[in-house]
Amino acid sequence: MVNRSAVICPQCCVAMNHHSDKILYVTDLQEGAQADPALGGIIAEFHTCPKCGGAASRPA
Amino acid sequence: MESDSGRPLFIPVVLGTTRQGRMSAHAAKLISRELGRYPGVETELIDIAQLPLPATDAGEAIKYPPFSAAMDRADALVLVVPEYNHGCPGLLKHLLDSCLKEYIHKAVGIAGVSAGPFGGVRVIENLLPVMRELGLVTIFWDVNFSSIQKVFSSDGQLLDDSFIRRIEKFLKELLWMAKALRYGRQQISLQ
Repeated sequence: MVNRSAVICPQCCVAMNHHSDKILYVTDLQEGAQADPALGGIIAEFHTCPKCGGAASRPA
Repeated sequence: MESDSGRPLFIPVVLGTTRQGRMSAHAAKLISRELGRYPGVETELIDIAQLPLPATDAGEAIKYPPFSAAMDRADALVLVVPEYNHGCPGLLKHLLDSCLKEYIHKAVGIAGVSAGPFGGVRVIENLLPVMRELGLVTIFWDVNFSSIQKVFSSDGQLLDDSFIRRIEKFLKELLWMAKALRYGRQQISLQ
């Protein structure tokens, strides 16, 4: 498993909690090349700030 | 870990139709009013008829910043949805598709509305897989406004008090789920 740095909340400057990975199914042809062939889409990480509840996402 | 236990829950109510003469507006206002009675809860009625919904593109390309900000802030949402031809209003789906990260691991409750006897059960069932794919977590209580013209007068007066108790059951479950999921989003790591 790749250890990545935490996402920092831009408002509170604290490490956000990585609580979800979700597959995003490709809907346009340009995204097709980025799709994980085994999973059939692009995986996104979802993070939430423990202080203010703000959400952030980034490609996995 | 940091905590925000003092922050109120924010639970907007989305009125999911733009049709003229919509009786769903009465249902949405009633649910919004009942939700506003709970301490520690803030709510807002979002009327999709008031939002710009361009038809020249779709998905996150048409994200409307104020709606996105409301979904980002939300801990849960209530959808008030009339049943049109067994499905949901197309503009509601168009709007819901404009966000994604804003919804992940948040609770949703659905109130179905119909002029007939089924109270939107078919539209609710149809929406469940959509909610799941959007990353929302559905609750197991619904509110079914069947024969809506008998539930409200044309000026929005509630004619059937049993709906207060039904809405209370629905909202209590939604609030529990909203609190549990907020804790999970903020404190429980996937790793």
